[in-house]
Amino acid sequence: MNRKRSAALFCTIAFTAGTLAGCTGSGAPAKEESAGAGNNTPLEVTIATPQVGEAPKKGSDIEQAMEKYTNAKIDIQWIPDAAFEDKKNIMIASSEMPKAFKVKANASTLNAIQSGLFWEIGPLLKEYKNLSELSPMYYDNIKVDGKLYGLPLYRDIGRAGIVYRKDWFDALGLKPPVTLDDWYNVAKAVAEKDPDKNSQADTYGFFLDKNYNDPVQSNSFMTRLSVPNGAPNKWGVENGKIVAEFMTQPYMDTMKLLRRMFQEKLINQDFSIVQTADSDNKWNAGKVGIRVNTVVTASATSFDNVSKSTPNAVVDVVPFTGPSGLKIPAETGNNGFYLFPKSSVKTEAELKRLLGFFDKLLDADMSTLLTRGVEGKHFTKTADGKAQFKDLTLFNLEVKPYRDSLPSFETTGKGIPLKQNELQAKGSKIAAENLQSVVPNVALTFNSQTYTEKGVELDNMIRDAQTKYIMGKIDDAGWQAELDKWLKAGGQKVIDEYTAEYAKTKK
Amino acid sequence: MPMNDKTFSNKMFDGVNYALLTLISLITIIPFIYIVSVSFASPSEVVKGGLLLVPTEFTLSAYKYIFSTGTMVKSIGVSIYVTALGTMINLMLTSITAYPLARPTLRGRRTLMLMILITMLFSGGMIPTYFVVKSLGLINTYWSLMIPTAISAFNLVVLKNFFQQVPDGLEDAARMDGCNDIGILFRIVLPLSMPAMATFGLFYAVGHWNTFFNAVIYINDSDKWPVQVVLRQIVLLSQDRIGDSTSQSDPADYLPQTIRMASIVVATVPIVLVYPFLQKHFAKGVLLGSVKG
Amino acid sequence: MQQPLEAQMQGARVSSFKRSQLLRDLIRDRWMYLLLIPGILYFVIFKYVPMFGLVMAFQDYKPFTGFMNSPWVGFKHFERFFTEPQFWTLFRNTLLLAVYNLVFFFPLPILLALMINEARQALFKKVVQTLLYLPHFISWVVAVGIFYVLFTTEGGVVNELLVRFGAEKIPFMLSEEWFRPMIIGQSIWKEAGWGTIIFLAALSGVDLQLYEAARIDGAGRWRQLWHITLPAIRSTIVILFILRLGSFLDTGFEHIFLMLNSMNREVGEVFDTYVYMKGLTQAQYSYSAAVGLFKSLVGLVLVLGANRLAKKFGEEGVY
Repeated sequence: MNRKRSAALFCTIAFTAGTLAGCTGSGAPAKEESAGAGNNTPLEVTIATPQVGEAPKKGSDIEQAMEKYTNAKIDIQWIPDAAFEDKKNIMIASSEMPKAFKVKANASTLNAIQSGLFWEIGPLLKEYKNLSELSPMYYDNIKVDGKLYGLPLYRDIGRAGIVYRKDWFDALGLKPPVTLDDWYNVAKAVAEKDPDKNSQADTYGFFLDKNYNDPVQSNSFMTRLSVPNGAPNKWGVENGKIVAEFMTQPYMDTMKLLRRMFQEKLINQDFSIVQTADSDNKWNAGKVGIRVNTVVTASATSFDNVSKSTPNAVVDVVPFTGPSGLKIPAETGNNGFYLFPKSSVKTEAELKRLLGFFDKLLDADMSTLLTRGVEGKHFTKTADGKAQFKDLTLFNLEVKPYRDSLPSFETTGKGIPLKQNELQAKGSKIAAENLQSVVPNVALTFNSQTYTEKGVELDNMIRDAQTKYIMGKIDDAGWQAELDKWLKAGGQKVIDEYTAEYAKTKK
Repeated sequence: MPMNDKTFSNKMFDGVNYALLTLISLITIIPFIYIVSVSFASPSEVVKGGLLLVPTEFTLSAYKYIFSTGTMVKSIGVSIYVTALGTMINLMLTSITAYPLARPTLRGRRTLMLMILITMLFSGGMIPTYFVVKSLGLINTYWSLMIPTAISAFNLVVLKNFFQQVPDGLEDAARMDGCNDIGILFRIVLPLSMPAMATFGLFYAVGHWNTFFNAVIYINDSDKWPVQVVLRQIVLLSQDRIGDSTSQSDPADYLPQTIRMASIVVATVPIVLVYPFLQKHFAKGVLLGSVKG
Repeated sequence: MQQPLEAQMQGARVSSFKRSQLLRDLIRDRWMYLLLIPGILYFVIFKYVPMFGLVMAFQDYKPFTGFMNSPWVGFKHFERFFTEPQFWTLFRNTLLLAVYNLVFFFPLPILLALMINEARQALFKKVVQTLLYLPHFISWVVAVGIFYVLFTTEGGVVNELLVRFGAEKIPFMLSEEWFRPMIIGQSIWKEAGWGTIIFLAALSGVDLQLYEAARIDGAGRWRQLWHITLPAIRSTIVILFILRLGSFLDTGFEHIFLMLNSMNREVGEVFDTYVYMKGLTQAQYSYSAAVGLFKSLVGLVLVLGANRLAKKFGEEGVY
């Protein structure tokens, strides 16, 4: 019986001991202050970034090469992307932020910025060669209240294009569509004339997925199709007032086109629930004529994917032209950006050194390291001095995490140029040329209190209304009623608030 | 004839029962067959869509991809450690807490139960809990995955209920033999509650094995990631589309779908293997013979 | 007629008697209280201390200003919640799903457990048990992906079968009428099997001798079920029911979120998806905390009520 009594005592002690052991155990390592004074001491750079895939080991080759070149000590915390937002909030709430924090643009980031947690870097950029010679569009797109706080991860701004099955088009005597009627004719021909010659009515002109009318993303199909016809990119200006794209005639025309096509079963009837991966699958299986949810720089990937199932496929890419020429919705130009918390970056001197670190990453050697890897290990140099990937799996494992988390340019950077096949080269060329003809989203950096509070509901409302209209569940009058509902529920307020912001910029 | 009738109705009863159970099992298993077959299928087949149940081309490439670096294996090790140790802590704490609460004569029992019930309904949320865990110095340790979730109030309440169903006669007999309360716990109540302990052991173990969110919040070092984190990272990587502007031809023989399905199989198989070992504790008639004499 | 003094002394004797009884009980059960210490510590440290975070519902909370410095706004968020034009839609949707869940989902694991219990063949039992709980391990993301393959109108398995038998295609995933049945059906498929485990554990504690005795008395399978098996697990059923009521308004966020689309939002949007939309995507922590608090209070009321009811029927309640 005594044994049992001591067992109880043991339980109690064990639990308490365990807790105490945890107390004396290792917690989060203390982040040391940067030396600050001497310019020769290595800069301490702590980074936290969302990431997918396996995390590179600390002190990897890439990290060491970076540290040597930039004279810094680098410590990267890789945060699983799936739970990044929650982790970010916790880090903010407990003041455990790194010196450079890579975040995505969303409501909570905006909140954090507006409460003065981060350094403003706008005025400092001119001191840095690489950072300042880039197009101001990259920076304008992430300004908050007219001030720049973030250092973007650069992405192409004009990435829309038409990626299509050239073999089908040639066989059916089609050309890449320009007008809305062209789109109709192409879809009809592909759906009816069985281009894959398997005697089954299973081919689609294009396969829509549920993000086709995303109200926020400029790469949504509806926007891409409407902008060449004169619609604004999400938000535009008419008579000094801000107007939403779905209230303009060109957008309405696109909606009417889709409605007609839905009725005639020329587009997939379940588009409002299709995931992007499933619509990718349809293209990969060789059932789709035009791939609408991709970017020009990935046209070669589109070809690779479909050729796995359809070896004879021929894929081509052309710019997105409309009746009045080349017009593309400008995308945000970034895939997240770096913020510099005042709680971890104590002095402006340190901030400047950090910016210098990022600036160096755009230099030739670093650019090559981040986008191509280590010569001999990840890539080889061709006779004409271009880089060709040697071991893509190794690259994805060792280099890709860094490339996706640090500023770099895939094809237009200072590193060794990439050896590209014809399709890739064409895609890159189109992306570069697109830059001249992009239509910006006028309200991209505007703040609307109503949108912050009700944005998602309003977005859902208008998305659902569009889908219902296209599926024929409501008619023109019904659409107008939904639009009025949207305006009353807060849409009008959002427009007014955006207009006020617009007026401010005009002063 | 009475005897035949009884046998016949018995047989009817059994027949219908078996038939229904078989049907239900089929409905449950078919989607799983789909998952397993996609995990072994080659991309060209999967891409065609539809319900693939038997792939014609077998390939292990999805599994090879998942295990291609040592990270996966290490994370399995981490998860096994956390699951084993964590479940032991869970069962120990839950049972020693449930037992006193199962005694009807304990003073303050109702109040304590009410306080525990309230924790099931109200929670301060993730941020305050993080502060508590941080102040105990548990951040970035494996303890952070085992201590904050040490007792599930739900399991506690139901286990207490099971303890209460142990017949009083047995307890009285043991007390007359000179056993004190603790002795009764370890000699009578626990052995007779093996089905319940096996059940909650399973629940806790599955909970530990499935840990994802807590691991991301409390663990900072990526080499301490448990298996679910690594798996989800791998699946997300295979789906990475727009982010990948390398646009290089990848000769890989797998697809995001096959990777995802393979990751489900890898994540599920270990736990599924645990269950048969626990099933012997669900054997009937545990109480047989214990009240005699 | 007692003198006041005597009454006082009587009262004093009674209360001192009670006090010494209390002391005696405490000492008698001292090992029990010792055993309880770790558990109580756990609940205090990890459950009650963090509960201070509930004040978020009464503030305009921002992560960086923290709980101490965020401005106090009293019931502002609750008022906003109850005056939302959407409130009644959300309420109706949540309530209906919760009720359907209770009525259709809750009994099934019990039924299944009974059926498995009645099967005598040991191997069959083992196999069925393992098969039934497999879906529990599939995440909702994958599960809904599978349901899409099964139920979509574009080449989905079920619709193809329907067409082959000459029937019309049914937009399972895209219609309002089918939304609730789909949600309930999917939940049953995924979780009913897992739910049987607890009942099987309870069933395995039933004394086999009772069945022997009943058989000798001439009772058939149904009567045995009704008079022996069910009463044996009655208290488990009651406890689980009461606990289930505590999360009455929880409808399974991830599942519904994945199934929501333009066509069924009217009937699909529930408190959980609404809170997610506000809380995470729009950074309105306080608002979503207020809604969460509301749900918890409803759950509390239901649990207390159900517990009292259970006690009236002679059952052991939760507390």
